[in-house]
Amino acid sequence: MRRGLLFAWPIALLLAVCGLMPGCGESSEGGGQSNGTGVDGEVTTTYGAISSKVRGMDPMDIGDTTSSGIASNIYDCLYQYHYLKRPYELIPNLAAEMPTVSEDGLTYTIKLRDDVVFQDDECFTETDGKGRKLVAQDFIYSWKRIADIKNVSKNWWILDGKIKGLDEFREYTKTAASKADVDYNRPVEGLEAVDDTTLRITLVKPWPQVTQYLAHLPTAAVPHEAVSHYGDEFLNHPVGTGPYTLKSWRHGSKIILERNPTYREEFYPSEGQAGDEEAGLLADAGKPMPLIDRIDISIIEESQPLWLKLMAGDLDIGGIPKDNFDTAISPTRELTPDLVKKGVVLEMYEDAATYWYGFNMEDPLLSNNKPLRQAMNLGIDRKDFLEKFLNNRGIPARGVLPPMIAGYDKGINSPYTQYDVELAKKKVKEAEALHGGPLPTIVLTMGGTDSTARQTGQWFIRSYENIGLTVEVEYMDWPSAQEKVKTKSAQMYAMGWVADIPDAENFMQLFYGPNESPGANSMNYKNPQVDAIYEKIAVMEHSPERIELIRQMQQMVVDDLPCVLTVHRVAFILHYDWLKNYKPHVFQYGLAKYRNLDAELRQQRVGR
Amino acid sequence: MFSYIVRRLLYTPLIVIGVLIVTFLLFRVVQGDVSAEYAGRSASPETVAEIRKELGFDKPLFINTEAVSEHGVLAVFDSQFFHHFKSAVTFDFGRARVSKQKVSSMLADGAIPSLTLTVPMFLGTLVTAVSISLFIALVRGSVLDTSVVVACVCGMSLPFLALIMFGQYFFAHKLQWFPIFGYEPGLAGAKYFVLPVLMGVFAGLGGDVRFYRTVMLDEINADYIRTARAKGQNTPRILYKHLLKNAMIPIISKVVLAIPFLFLGSLLTERFFGIPGLGYLMVEAIGQRDFQIINAMTFVISVLFVLGNLATDVCYALVDPRVTLN
Repeated sequence: MRRGLLFAWPIALLLAVCGLMPGCGESSEGGGQSNGTGVDGEVTTTYGAISSKVRGMDPMDIGDTTSSGIASNIYDCLYQYHYLKRPYELIPNLAAEMPTVSEDGLTYTIKLRDDVVFQDDECFTETDGKGRKLVAQDFIYSWKRIADIKNVSKNWWILDGKIKGLDEFREYTKTAASKADVDYNRPVEGLEAVDDTTLRITLVKPWPQVTQYLAHLPTAAVPHEAVSHYGDEFLNHPVGTGPYTLKSWRHGSKIILERNPTYREEFYPSEGQAGDEEAGLLADAGKPMPLIDRIDISIIEESQPLWLKLMAGDLDIGGIPKDNFDTAISPTRELTPDLVKKGVVLEMYEDAATYWYGFNMEDPLLSNNKPLRQAMNLGIDRKDFLEKFLNNRGIPARGVLPPMIAGYDKGINSPYTQYDVELAKKKVKEAEALHGGPLPTIVLTMGGTDSTARQTGQWFIRSYENIGLTVEVEYMDWPSAQEKVKTKSAQMYAMGWVADIPDAENFMQLFYGPNESPGANSMNYKNPQVDAIYEKIAVMEHSPERIELIRQMQQMVVDDLPCVLTVHRVAFILHYDWLKNYKPHVFQYGLAKYRNLDAELRQQRVGR
Repeated sequence: MFSYIVRRLLYTPLIVIGVLIVTFLLFRVVQGDVSAEYAGRSASPETVAEIRKELGFDKPLFINTEAVSEHGVLAVFDSQFFHHFKSAVTFDFGRARVSKQKVSSMLADGAIPSLTLTVPMFLGTLVTAVSISLFIALVRGSVLDTSVVVACVCGMSLPFLALIMFGQYFFAHKLQWFPIFGYEPGLAGAKYFVLPVLMGVFAGLGGDVRFYRTVMLDEINADYIRTARAKGQNTPRILYKHLLKNAMIPIISKVVLAIPFLFLGSLLTERFFGIPGLGYLMVEAIGQRDFQIINAMTFVISVLFVLGNLATDVCYALVDPRVTLN
């Protein structure tokens, strides 16, 4: 799903781990036909956890990995990534086939499946709650919602300047007196429903990543009935076409998803890559999905109960809190014998993510004082940070792109992302001179209130004290921190970006001026030269020339330093061996449908 | 007594109106229009205007004279002040800033788990602490008395967080006597409350035993206790019939005024044991500057506090005939 803006490190890991793939299950009460392997044919339930609250499940405004990890099991996009094949391969999802592209590359014609219906919900009043058929017009409506300025969508950057007539529609929405006055029947030239199952998109300019973005949650279809019916609370009442429906959501406590009984026919993949068969990843080939009936997701913000529940087998999958890392992982980076005996399996993979502490470049102090930004980068010991808070699960970030994205530049010339206290102190002096006196306190917003977030905050305060800067940290829950960033109200904030698509453009657009908040450029960084290069990158196919432009743009960003780049992380995920079909996937959204479990084995091991 | 209670109940609405005026002044007049802040710096003027309308800041503060000509004389009440009153009376406090949930639903949903946790915790602490204090008062100056006082000081010095973490690790994880974390509504969820309640009771004992011991010691040296002993009354009768009853005034003062705050839940316990109460709601609302929630919580707590005060006065009269309600 859309980039996951994650703040705190271990928390980020846990999120990426548990929330996104609530995998695992077991039997419990309930009815329905199970495709999974329950005990005595009982309904299978998976147990997962996330470590921060879900902000909301409206694709139009979804912008974090936590919310996306849940909502992506309820909503569907036109395309999706093959679960098993690597490199990542796009395949049709709600689309019946891959799009037909005109010769000039500007017109995409997409045939939709004709067997897709929305989940049953009370919003469908005309059919007594029975979900209606998905039609091409639903996508047009959903994308217009993103464009509607009254919705203050975080995702406008995806469509901004891309589709013919959509920017004009956005301008029109500015003139409407209120939200309710926006006319969604107003035509948009580049969005045409040729018939119920044919969607035609006409672009303003080439957009090579368009298909990849059509696999990205914000572009999922939502029914207008649900938006009208639930109004402001639509974000709490998702109604999609996905494999699961929202059964209950107790904010801050628990989310339960249940199999969507009207889900279309979709089968577990029958081909993968070398080694998949031996790993048992093709055992369910050809079975209808989802394989598990129910997903039970606890929201556990503190790491101790989360770890204890995982160790007790109450959770089927989870991350490793920093304080428990040595209990789980040996110095040689293997699972400790105790956990192996319990049937725990370790999965490690490089995450396509970069984390940073962003400067709000509309803040006069930070934007006008480059020596200050340099000092704040120099004053951070990334290796110490990795060791203290991530148990060295990652590498220091010198540039914007993570290693697995084409364009990653290991040798980037980035003198200010090194740790150098003496130089930092000199830069602070320069910053004070530029400011015309002592620098005021800088406020850092942390999207977490747990002990790790507080320790991280203290670490930053101390690091900056060492170079003569005063930083104050304000802690708040993750949804509130996002809201603060979205409204440009944070001065400095902890954030990160998890790739939405396997392309450097997805990271480069974070620094594109017009994408400022509430868009993805949460730093509100503006540099006309950077913008000019980005505009070239965005329309180019992959090529050495494009890589060179990416390198140039990345260099400009690290020269300007609109943030304190910190780490690229490596995910360490633990799951029990009763959880089946787990394969690390960088785009870990909507994957719950592939999971299966051996409930008998779980019962043997932990008695449930 | 009855007439006193009726009279106090009649005063209560006036006090509540006073509370509403204070909260109105705090959240509407002193704080001012938060629409622009809610919308953020990236918002268009139209968005700010829409939020202003949604929050009611587009209306005059006290009297809407402008609307009278268009909508009739009753429109004079279409002001921020009267909407503030109406929202309190109808328990409709608008929607939360981030989650967009109805604030009244959030309060209602959170109150039951919070009270399920705090009421047994409170009663358990009270009964245990008073019982221990009564007994300790009898053996004052003994090794046992000193030991209890030392234990109380140790208990008070122990951070609640450390206690919770130890309890969760040892009793729930190691011994597996209790669930580690979780919540279920209804009786099925009772098992999730046992350990957090016990932890809360244990944590509260140190301070409470010391307080009640002092209260009991003040009374145990009184003349009426000496007289009762001289008359040959047995110890349980002295303790429960005479001492406890006379010690009730400070106990009631402490207890009844604490009751409204039970509604606020227990922040740490809820967080570590996964109880979806109100413990964190207020803290987060302050962090988010969610004035809808802060306003609602302030109002509810104030009303409970007013009712608590009434209950305290009535209880005084019930337990101590020297207190009259005239």
